[in-house]
Amino acid sequence: MTIRSFDLLQPRSLAEAITLLVQHGEDARAIGGGTTLIILMKQRALQYRYLVDLQSIPGLNQISKEPEGVRIGALATHRSVELSPVIREALPVVAEAFSRVGNVRVRQTASVGGNLAHADYRLDPPPALLILGAEISAMGPNGARKIPLKDFFRGMYETALEPGELLVDVKIPSMPAKSKAVYLRYSAMSANDWPCLGVAAMVTRENGRCKELRLALGGVAATPVLVNGLTFVKDQLLDEDVMQQILAVVDEQISPFSDLRGSEWYKRQMTQVFIRRAIAQLDSQLIEG
Amino acid sequence: MANLAIVGQSVYRTDANPKVTGRALHVGNIEMPGMLHVAVLRSPYPHARIRHIDKSRAEALAGVAVVLTGAEIAKMPAVDAHFGPAFRDQPILAVEKVCYAGDPVVAVAAVDKRLAEDALQLVEVDYEPLPAVFDVLEAVTPESALVHEQHRPAKAFADLAHVQAGRQSNICYHFKLRTGDVERAFAEADRVFEDTFSSPAAQHVPMEPHVTLVYLDEHERLNVWTASQSPSYVRTELSATFGIPMNRIRVRVPYLGGGYGAKLYAKLEPLVTILALITKKPVRYALTREEEFLTITKHKVVTRIQTAIKDGTVTARKCEVYWDTGAYAEIGPRIGHKSGYTSAGPYRIPNVCIDSYCVYTNRVPAGAFRGFGVPQVIWAYDSQTDMIARAIGADPVEFRLKPALDEGEPFATGTIVRSFGIKEAIREAAQAIEWSKPRAAPSGTKSRGKGIAAGVKAVLTPSISGAIVILNADGTANVLSSTVEMGQGSETTMGQIVAEELGISLEQVHIVQPDTDATPYDTITAGSRSTYHMGNAARSAAAKIKAELCEVVAARLEVAADDLVAGKGRIFVRGMEERGMTVGEIFLAKFGSLGTTLAAEAVCQPAASHMDPETGQSEKCTEYWFPSATAAEVEVDTETGQVKVLQLVSVGDTGTSINPRHCEQQLLGAALTHLGLTLFEEMVFDEGQLVNGSLLDYQIASFKDMPESVRPIVVQVPHEDGPFGAKGAGETGALTVAPAIANAIEDAVGVRICDLPITAEKILRALTDKEGTAVSIGSTTS
Ligand SMILES: Cc1cc2nc3c(=O)[nH]c(=O)nc-3n(C[C@H](O)[C@H](O)[C@H](O)COP(=O)(O)OP(=O)(O)OC[C@H]3O[C@@H](n4cnc5c(N)ncnc54)[C@H](O)[C@@H]3O)c2cc1C
Repeated sequence: MTIRSFDLLQPRSLAEAITLLVQHGEDARAIGGGTTLIILMKQRALQYRYLVDLQSIPGLNQISKEPEGVRIGALATHRSVELSPVIREALPVVAEAFSRVGNVRVRQTASVGGNLAHADYRLDPPPALLILGAEISAMGPNGARKIPLKDFFRGMYETALEPGELLVDVKIPSMPAKSKAVYLRYSAMSANDWPCLGVAAMVTRENGRCKELRLALGGVAATPVLVNGLTFVKDQLLDEDVMQQILAVVDEQISPFSDLRGSEWYKRQMTQVFIRRAIAQLDSQLIEG
Repeated sequence: MANLAIVGQSVYRTDANPKVTGRALHVGNIEMPGMLHVAVLRSPYPHARIRHIDKSRAEALAGVAVVLTGAEIAKMPAVDAHFGPAFRDQPILAVEKVCYAGDPVVAVAAVDKRLAEDALQLVEVDYEPLPAVFDVLEAVTPESALVHEQHRPAKAFADLAHVQAGRQSNICYHFKLRTGDVERAFAEADRVFEDTFSSPAAQHVPMEPHVTLVYLDEHERLNVWTASQSPSYVRTELSATFGIPMNRIRVRVPYLGGGYGAKLYAKLEPLVTILALITKKPVRYALTREEEFLTITKHKVVTRIQTAIKDGTVTARKCEVYWDTGAYAEIGPRIGHKSGYTSAGPYRIPNVCIDSYCVYTNRVPAGAFRGFGVPQVIWAYDSQTDMIARAIGADPVEFRLKPALDEGEPFATGTIVRSFGIKEAIREAAQAIEWSKPRAAPSGTKSRGKGIAAGVKAVLTPSISGAIVILNADGTANVLSSTVEMGQGSETTMGQIVAEELGISLEQVHIVQPDTDATPYDTITAGSRSTYHMGNAARSAAAKIKAELCEVVAARLEVAADDLVAGKGRIFVRGMEERGMTVGEIFLAKFGSLGTTLAAEAVCQPAASHMDPETGQSEKCTEYWFPSATAAEVEVDTETGQVKVLQLVSVGDTGTSINPRHCEQQLLGAALTHLGLTLFEEMVFDEGQLVNGSLLDYQIASFKDMPESVRPIVVQVPHEDGPFGAKGAGETGALTVAPAIANAIEDAVGVRICDLPITAEKILRALTDKEGTAVSIGSTTS
């Protein structure tokens, strides 16, 4: 279908963008890469009189190395994250997660901010960012604030952003020493399809034992899930007993629902399979490394 | 075959360059001054009475030329508000009631597409929902909601002349086949197998969605540019619907961006025509991808199949096939008939009983889909054949080979088969996959298995193709044919046939694209029929011209016409190339000038003999057959159920290849399309509402899904009446993919999936059930 006519507003600064969004209220929406928004507007599921084009604001697409991590501007494209030498070196799991989104045409256009703000329950990047303890900087009519990513997703297509508030960048802390992370994405149908679910895992080791395990999942609840209550693995070997406990904890915290890519039953099964696979993969990497 | 210059050569496609360089003309690229664009409001209800439509606000919008409803069309004198190839049951726009969610209700033509869509949002329709039926087995029960109160046959095609008017039932067509004594064979059987198989509705997903442009020319003649596989039929249908003389309708079809059966018969043409007639402006309607999903689908089919075994062989088979044809019959009856009669398989089975029902439901209409329904019936009979072989401890390949029909034996219809390379196909498939080698041992969570499947399709008979060949004085030729080049390579193939016959080069032949003002009648471009039918017509027409040329040369050189052959742009004495004349010399001799042309027409019109309505017996039910076999090797992940197809070998008996590479490409293209249909494609409905009607949610097989190895094998059993022995190839590779993969999966992990698509989840479910223990937390060991 076609999009209803709208005005494309091109602010030159964040402050101007926020002013425009506040001024036009429900009639306006921010647009990043537009890969999701434009489809919804073409279907006429969403209609706006004004789109506030964030791409016209200079400097929002930077990817920079900082003393304690990496900062990714909201307008950096998926493709630039996937290919960034800084990210591939420091946070390969992030490059991997972004590289799995859709296809290269989507990744070349879609922005990191748009991905997170879209808050679909199956997105690939959020689990990887969640295990790394990413934090969002937001700016709105009431000024700037920081939102830990784990508090950002509030429901299906719902985030902590207030009206007129924009996602400015994502700060990702460096990986702890002696740790490895992995993102496993499972497409149950076509390999080209959205994932049925995704599992991100990070294991930190110390003296041959597990120091910390972090797990996050996409596709198995209305929002991405960062698994809590895994501190019991500290100083354990990740053997079958511990694995059973981990899986029980995870099973409690997910609430998958049936969709085109799998029933609730199937998603619970696959969660277990892919958590096992992720942990097994990390365990062997850490032993080798 | 002796001394062929270009037939049998894998020459490159003549349409490749313009397509790859983006210069090929498609309907969607044609712009005309003052052209209007169409948007259509579709029903949100699967079945509802239309109480009232308020379109006044839409009509008031500046730039809107017309807002049209079905009630208005129904009031127009001389216009038939309904169309359809088997029954005239499909309204141009819904009249009084809607029959599926997606049914067109109101059309707007406006100066641009956006405005037309804006106008739609201002139309208000008041519906009264009616009870609806979504399940084909429920639709055949007496309690079911009725989709149509009565059925009005169309009379457009000879093979559908026997379709009857009916009422008070959702069954619009019932095909019966009876041979032998089925009851007795079952009573005497050692074992009886009874299974039910299903395959879902799916979409063709042609790269180019439907698009039609209609305008009235300076003589007020109706000019139609349309993305269609059946230009001749479109003209007939428009003439019947609007009462316009045939010579005042011109239908043209440029290169098609894929069809696969979706673009057969009439689709958008009646609606766009009426809008052009009302507005007197050029009007174009291009479907969005989402609308494409609401326009036409592959038939969902449920098949119950019972097979009697005595002394290790099949003695009887009973098939009940239910075709869910959706809200409008479309070509469902033809499919129920032509595919129905093949549903016991290409085997020697003395006792067969087939009932094939074409059934209305309140779902998106279903029509032709590469294979015309045969992949759905093969899914049932080949899957069951494999299950039986395994159950009685027979080798699945031998179990198929033994009863497979030989040349000269009768099919279930009583028709004697000829050019029937089914055994060769099965053998080639088995050999290619190294069937007799022991299977690899499972490694970790991965198990491998192999599967073979075989089946056959019959070509639509009777049908008609006409061609005109015009030879120019410089030795070049134009061929007038209504066969649509839709990616299958017909332009190249026809070019090769005519070039061969006239002894000229491929570059010297130009194939004129379908234009009903000039190109003769052709039934359809579909069903793997063009190479044979149009190929024969074009070849015969060229042969007539050659005969005229030879006559002149024979007189001039005082030799017998029989001793003359054509080659290198000349007619010469066989074996003595220097004794001959060029086309130019012949024209000068015959006409005294070079300014003229030689033309000839020929028609290929194979007949079928009467089929008994009670027994389905016919001395000749079809002109020729397409035997197919597929071999697959798969790897199944027993923890996820996911299937990876490692090898896919597609074998087809296409008759003699006019262009071997084309035959291979057709086999592979069809097989790979069916890879997605086998593993994940399904149009999912919830209470009649399509849930995944866009390419975001409906996925077709992508490059990432391709098997590690794919291989086409062309079996060439020549057909005595085919052009140079050719039959056809467009559908053959599609026929047997799904059962081959299902059979390989059982070979790998011992579970049988009877409902397509074979998703990872279904396999894991079956594995879990087989183990008898629900997988609980942590019980999957790595
Ligand atoms: C064909 C296709 C396949 C896909 N497959 C996958 C897949 O496999 N995995 C996956 O994870 N995702 C997939 N996606 C989704 C894709 O990740 C999102 O479309 C993309 O990330 C959105 O980014 P964008 O910049 O285009 O967002 P936009 O479309 O511009 O915006 C999306 C939403 O975010 C808001 N927004 C944008 N930027 C900001 C900001 N800075 N601050 C506040 N709000 C903002 C917009 O107002 C809008 O509501 C797919 C999408 C397509 C089209």
